[in-house]
Amino acid sequence: MNSRERMDTAMRLGVPDRVPVMCQLALGHYFLHAGLDAIEIWHGTHAFAEALVRLQQRYGFDGILINLPGRDPEWRKAVAKIETRGEERVITWKNGWYTEVPSDDNPHVYQADGTRYFPLFDEIDPDELFYVEPHDLSSITHPYSWGFSGERAEPGAAFFPPWHYDTIREVVRRVGGEVSVHGEIFSPFAQFMELLDYTSGLMALVDDPEKVKACLDRLADGAIELGRGQARAGAHAVLISSAFAGAGLISRDHYAQFVLPYERKVIDGIHAEHDIPIYTHTCGAIGDRLDLMEATHTQGIDTLDPPPLGTVDLAEAVAQTKGRMFIKGNLDPVNTVLFGSVDDVRAAARGRLEIAAPGGGYILSTACSVSPAAPPANIMVLREAAETWGRYDSTPR
Amino acid sequence: MTDLAELAQHLIDGHDADVARLTRDALDEGRAPAAILEQGLIAGMQVVGERFRDNIIFVPEVLVAARAMKAGLAHLEPVLAACGIEPIGTYVIGTVKGDIHDIGKNLVGMMLKGAGFRVIDLGVNTPLAKFQAAIEEHRPDIVGMSALLTTTMGQMKVNIESFRAAGLFDRLRVMVGGAAVSEDYAESIGAHAYGADAPSSVAKARSLLAELKAARA
Repeated sequence: MNSRERMDTAMRLGVPDRVPVMCQLALGHYFLHAGLDAIEIWHGTHAFAEALVRLQQRYGFDGILINLPGRDPEWRKAVAKIETRGEERVITWKNGWYTEVPSDDNPHVYQADGTRYFPLFDEIDPDELFYVEPHDLSSITHPYSWGFSGERAEPGAAFFPPWHYDTIREVVRRVGGEVSVHGEIFSPFAQFMELLDYTSGLMALVDDPEKVKACLDRLADGAIELGRGQARAGAHAVLISSAFAGAGLISRDHYAQFVLPYERKVIDGIHAEHDIPIYTHTCGAIGDRLDLMEATHTQGIDTLDPPPLGTVDLAEAVAQTKGRMFIKGNLDPVNTVLFGSVDDVRAAARGRLEIAAPGGGYILSTACSVSPAAPPANIMVLREAAETWGRYDSTPR
Repeated sequence: MTDLAELAQHLIDGHDADVARLTRDALDEGRAPAAILEQGLIAGMQVVGERFRDNIIFVPEVLVAARAMKAGLAHLEPVLAACGIEPIGTYVIGTVKGDIHDIGKNLVGMMLKGAGFRVIDLGVNTPLAKFQAAIEEHRPDIVGMSALLTTTMGQMKVNIESFRAAGLFDRLRVMVGGAAVSEDYAESIGAHAYGADAPSSVAKARSLLAELKAARA
């Protein structure tokens, strides 16, 4: 059984030869550890694909999450200059905007006056929305345009440029026969939060819930189109990034109103054309809403942050979801993987495997992303732990 | 006569226009500014804090309540200042350099205002020099630093070491908080307190303030 088959079996709730291992790596982790230039990784399709494959192979992961879109191959034409300011490099674009590129974290885009652009809620016409890609080179724009082209991206089938899927195509071409390759889409709720800035987005839920719902409905259409496009490009699974849907921010009632129906629409919409696993990444405190997450029709739950970062007791989560959704995660990415020793990580991984592996449907992973500065040795030990304590067959180790 | 309990209730419900109107009406009627503050705005925010702590309300409801409080304070603060009514303490707050996340920091800041602190909000991506300048200018009792990311939480340690080296800890206290921060981490970098969430941050700020005032007495 190769990695791709192992992952696919686990995601479809079967029992593979052993528990698969696959973590989402923070983009800063690629910057620090892939041996490639951060500007190239963030802005270039090929460099990011290379970084993804390098670290998948180094850590022995069974899957790769492609958590940046493909890039416009002509992106350098929009650059006015690249310079170093203190510890960061700064790209100044020809329109006067600039991007600060830290060595270990996501770049941030600023307007010429030093502020970040967010439209006001009052300025939003739901009919103009289709999809919000916060990792686009120009960050948030409204009405939406890709990069610094200034050309409005019209809602509909042609919204996503052909190069948007290039990273998936390249990774699938290179390792897709052996390794499970996953695309990522932002949930409608996450898109809405990114569009407005988080504070304004959250207040909008109270101020004008019906308008918010109209926005979410449109953003779901874009997410469906993107998920289908990723599947057509060869992705074997799709992750829905839904970082703002935990109890640290919103109530169960708000989840039921603003998250559940739209994530269900997205999942059903992709499944109408593609039979691929779709799972959901929601950070922090989700222990009180696993039932609502299941009602979105998601096939798996990523993260499952344990205390103190979240509220998930793995044994309870397994009891609640076994046989209906796969589970990926529950290793504390900060207190164990970032700050702990190799022995700490090994012991924590063993504990996760003992609880969640029996019966299949478990993927060993950190809860949230692996931190940029997490020691590589702490990540490599996960594969070893799965080989040691996560086997289902009698194959010699 | 304006009902200050009604004012508090509008604040709890996030009705900013009503809070502004009732605050203005109360002032026009000659009500004592301190009474409007304490029985109206602070009383309302106290309830908001308790409901948030008990998971009865969540961040969106707290944000709109805080916006309502701000609408009331816009009318009240100039009068309070003119009357010589002092805040209970001064709190400088900011998200550390490299980090642009601000929901947690904003919630803490708003609840501190609701508890009677003067809050100087330095915003996000705040370099050490900006904290130092704010300490020099505003002479705060407490400095609060927030970081969501594991990449930026280390900046808290850098800042705290700088404050210590400058001999500031005889007159101010430092609190830290944020998603990746823990009590153990706060202790390891020499912070005086860790705020797990907005309500507990306010409680700890009050405690630190009492400690400082006792030391000064």
